[in-house]
Amino acid sequence: MSAFDRPRFLRVFVAVFFVFLFAPIALVILFSFNSSRSLQQFDGFSMRWYETFFESESLRDSLIASIEIALVTMLIATVLGTMLAYGLVRARTRWSDTANVLMLVPLVTPEIVAGASALLLFTQVGLELSLTTIIVAHITFSISYVTVVVRARLAALGRQVEDASMDLGATRWQTFRLVTLPALWPAIIAAGLLCFALSFDDFVLSFFTTGESPQPLPVRIWTEIRFGVRPTINAIGSFMLVISILSIGLALLLPRLLGRRESGLKVLLGREAA
Amino acid sequence: MNENRFATAFLVPGGLWLLVLFVVPVCLVLALSFGYTDDLGEAIYSTRLDNYERLVDPDYLPVLFRSVGFALAAVVLCLLIGYPVAYYIAVFGGRWKNVLIALVVLPFFVNYLIRTYAWIAMLGDDGLVNGVLDSSIRFINTPWAVIGGLVYGFLAFMILPIYAALDRMDPALIEAGKDLYGSPWETFRHVTWPHTFQGVLAGSVLVFLPAVGDFVAASLLGGPEEVMVGNLIQQQFQASDNWPFGAALTIAMMAFLLIWMSLYLRAAARETKEARA
Amino acid sequence: MLSRRRLLQGGAGLALGAGLAGCGVGNIDKGSKAETEKPIRKRIDGDLVYFNYSQYIDPELVKGFEKLYGVRVRESYFDSMSAMMAKLRAGIHYDVIFPSAEYVQRLRAGFLIRRIDRDKLKNVDTVYPHYDDPWYDPNSEHSTPYGMYATGLGYRADKVTGMTGSWRDLGEADSDDRSFLLDDYQEAIGMANLVNGHPLNETDTDKLEESKNYLVDLKPKLRGVSADTITNMVSGNAYIQHLWNGDIVNIRYGVDNPEDFKFQKCREGMPIGSDNFVIPVNAEHPGTALLFIEYMLEPENAAQNVEWIGYPMPYEGAATEAFQGLVKDDPEINITIEDLEQGLQYENLRGEGRLAWDEVWTEFKVS
Repeated sequence: MSAFDRPRFLRVFVAVFFVFLFAPIALVILFSFNSSRSLQQFDGFSMRWYETFFESESLRDSLIASIEIALVTMLIATVLGTMLAYGLVRARTRWSDTANVLMLVPLVTPEIVAGASALLLFTQVGLELSLTTIIVAHITFSISYVTVVVRARLAALGRQVEDASMDLGATRWQTFRLVTLPALWPAIIAAGLLCFALSFDDFVLSFFTTGESPQPLPVRIWTEIRFGVRPTINAIGSFMLVISILSIGLALLLPRLLGRRESGLKVLLGREAA
Repeated sequence: MNENRFATAFLVPGGLWLLVLFVVPVCLVLALSFGYTDDLGEAIYSTRLDNYERLVDPDYLPVLFRSVGFALAAVVLCLLIGYPVAYYIAVFGGRWKNVLIALVVLPFFVNYLIRTYAWIAMLGDDGLVNGVLDSSIRFINTPWAVIGGLVYGFLAFMILPIYAALDRMDPALIEAGKDLYGSPWETFRHVTWPHTFQGVLAGSVLVFLPAVGDFVAASLLGGPEEVMVGNLIQQQFQASDNWPFGAALTIAMMAFLLIWMSLYLRAAARETKEARA
Repeated sequence: MLSRRRLLQGGAGLALGAGLAGCGVGNIDKGSKAETEKPIRKRIDGDLVYFNYSQYIDPELVKGFEKLYGVRVRESYFDSMSAMMAKLRAGIHYDVIFPSAEYVQRLRAGFLIRRIDRDKLKNVDTVYPHYDDPWYDPNSEHSTPYGMYATGLGYRADKVTGMTGSWRDLGEADSDDRSFLLDDYQEAIGMANLVNGHPLNETDTDKLEESKNYLVDLKPKLRGVSADTITNMVSGNAYIQHLWNGDIVNIRYGVDNPEDFKFQKCREGMPIGSDNFVIPVNAEHPGTALLFIEYMLEPENAAQNVEWIGYPMPYEGAATEAFQGLVKDDPEINITIEDLEQGLQYENLRGEGRLAWDEVWTEFKVS
C-alpha cells in the first residue's frame, strides 16, 4: 500500500522528531524552576530565578528592547522582502540580476562581519548607536530571508491565476492585492515568523550595533553564558518561549481578528481568496 | 511595458535599502581589508595587500573545505529530517496543521545559545543521556556534535519553505499522480518533488550559507580540529583585534560562496522559466 | 553579470580604501593631554554608564550604589577587550570601563582615559603597593585596579593522575583524554613560551616557531580548545582545563563536590593580570564614576564583591581575607604578594611582534 493511506512510519518519525526537538527545551524549562543552582540535579521547585529575572530592571529593559526590535524588524523586513520577491520573480529588467545578487549577499555575510560593517558605517556617518541602529541592521539582514522564502512560493504559483484575474478586468494592483497576496500568505507568515525569531535571537549583530544601554536580551545572554549557565538564563529562555507562543498565537488569529468572515485558518492556507 | 514597470517598482524599496545599508558597509569592509592595525590596535584604512598575501596559503584550504563540508552535511540532514516532517504536516496535518507547524517553529524562539548549552548539559560526559544509559559516550567535542548543532540551529529554515511549498499543492494532484504512476515513490518523484523544488532550494540556501559562516556550533561543540571559517573570522574581530585581516578573510569567504550562490540563482531562474511556460 | 558586479565592488572598495587611507575606524574624539589631565570633581553628575564583563560585579552592590546616591546604573557588557574597544571607538559615552593592564597602557597612549586623583578616593591606601606605580600606568594616575587573575591549570583531583606542577601536565597527565586548552591566543602562546623556557612575551620568530610547534604537537592530546572553562568542568567534559583562578572558584560554586576541583600554579611561570577601573575621556558623568570607584574600594563592599565574583581584588584587609577564606582548602588559587612580585605579565606587543603572535595562533588553529 502507498504511504499516503497509512502514514504510520511517517507518524512515528515525526513524533520522534518532536521529542528530539523539544528535549533541550524541556530541560531548559525544567531547570528554570530548580530551587538550587545545579544543572545536573533537580532539587525542588522554585520560582526564584524568575523573581531574579523580573526584579532586575536592566533585564526587563533588555527584554522589552528585544521585543520592540523584533516586532519592528519583522514588520518592515517582511514588507520590503515580499516586495523584493515579487519584483524578482515577475519583473524582467536589466536590474534583475543585480537585484538577485544584492539580495543574496547578506546571506553570505557572516554575522560578525555584518555587525562590524554596520558599526563601521554608522561610525563613519557619525550616527549614534541606539535601538534604531539595531533595528536598521536587523532589517537589512532579514530582508534576504523573507525574499528567499516568499519567492519560492511565488515561483511555484505560476501566473495563470493572475493572468486570468486581469483578463477578467482587475487592475494590476487589485490582482496583486486580491489574488497574489492571499496566495502568498503562508509564505509571508512563515517569513515573518522567521524574521521575528532571527531578530529576537540575534546577539552578534546586535552587540555591534547597540547603544550603551539597554543591550538586547540575547547580547546579555551571550556575554553572560560563558561564565557558566546560571539558572536565571534558563528562566529568561523559558520566558522568551512564552512570549513566542503568544506571538505565534497572535499571528494565527490575526486574520480572524481583522474581521474576515471565513475562518482565518483557511485564509492562511490560501484556500480561499480574501 | 506597464506590467513590467509595476513589478519593477516593487524592486525599489528593498533594493534601495540593501544598496545603502548593505552594499556600502560591505565596501567599507572591502576597504578595510587593505588596511592594517596600528600599535594601539586600531584599524587603519590603507592600500596594502598584506592581508591577502597572508591568505594565499594552502594551510587555509582545509578549514574552508571543512566549513563547506559541515554546512553541506547540515543541509543534507536538514533535508532528510525536515522534508518528511513538512510533508506529514502539510498532507496529513488536517485541522492541526497550524498547531503542528507552530510547534516546529517554537523551539527556535528559545535563544540559540541557551538551546546549545542545554544540549551540552544533556549530552555531556556526565550529562543526562549518559546518566540514563549509564555509559560514558563522548558526544560533545566531536565533528558530529558540530553538525548536529548546525542542524538543530537551522532546521526551521529548511522546514518552513518546504512546508509553504507543499501546502500550496492541491492534494488532488497527488491523487492524480497515484493513479498515473502507481507507486508512491514514482508519484513523489514526478509530482511532489518538482512542485516543492523551489522550497527545497530556498531551504538549502537558508541553511547552507549561514552555516558556513557559523562560529558558535564549532566553538561550543567541537574539538580542536573543528575550526571553521567563521571561527577564524570571529577570532580576528573579537580576540586578536585584527579587523583588517578579518575583513580580508571575510571577502575571500564571500567570494567563494558567491560561486555557490550563482548556482542557486541559475537553478531558481530555471524553475521560474519553467513555471512561466 | 556576477563578475562585473564583483569588479565594480572591488574597485569601489579600493577607491574607498584609498580615500580613507590613514583614517582610523574610530569615531571617538581622541582627547589631548590637557583633556585627560583635567581633574574630575567627585560628585554625582548623573547616572552611571557602566561597561564590563558580565557577571563581574555583585548585583547587590550595584543596587546598593544606586540607593546610596539615588542614581541609576546603566549596565552593558562586553565579552572581550576587542569588543570593548570597538564600542568605545565608536564613540559611545561610557563612564566607567574595565580594561586589562595592557589595554590601560593603550588607552593612555591614545589619550583616551582621564586622570583619576587617587588622593580623593577614600580607602585608596588599601590598594596593594604593587599597584602604586605599575608598568602600564606610571604613578597609577589613570587607573585603579579592580580584579586580579592568574592563569594555571584547573583539574579534577579525583579523576586525574600525574600532575607534576608543570604546564606540560596539560598534555602529559592522565586525564582520560579530557584536557582543554584555553581559547585565548595570549594565554596559549604565553604558556608555550614558558614551557620552552622563554620569556612570556617572547617575539623572536624562531622561538615563537618553537612555541607554535609545541602547541601543534599538543593538539592531538586535547579534547578541545575552549573559553567555556566553567561549563566544561562543571559538565564533566573537562578533567584538566587551562583557566584563570577565579574560574575554579566559580566552578566550585556550581558542583556538588567542590573539594575535587583544584588549581595548579605551574612552576615554569604563572601569568598574572588585572582588570582596572578607568574613566574614558568622553564620559558624561565622570564624577559619578569616581564615586563608584570609591564605593567599590570600601572594605566591606570589596569583600562582598570578592565572594560573589570569585576573583581576588588587590585591596588589603577585608577583601584579601575574603578571598583567602574562599580558597582555604586550596591556597594555590590565591595570589600572594610574592606571586605578584614574580608574576609574569602580558605586555603590549608592538607591530611586528603582535602580528607574529597573531600568525602563530592562526596557524595553530588551522593546522
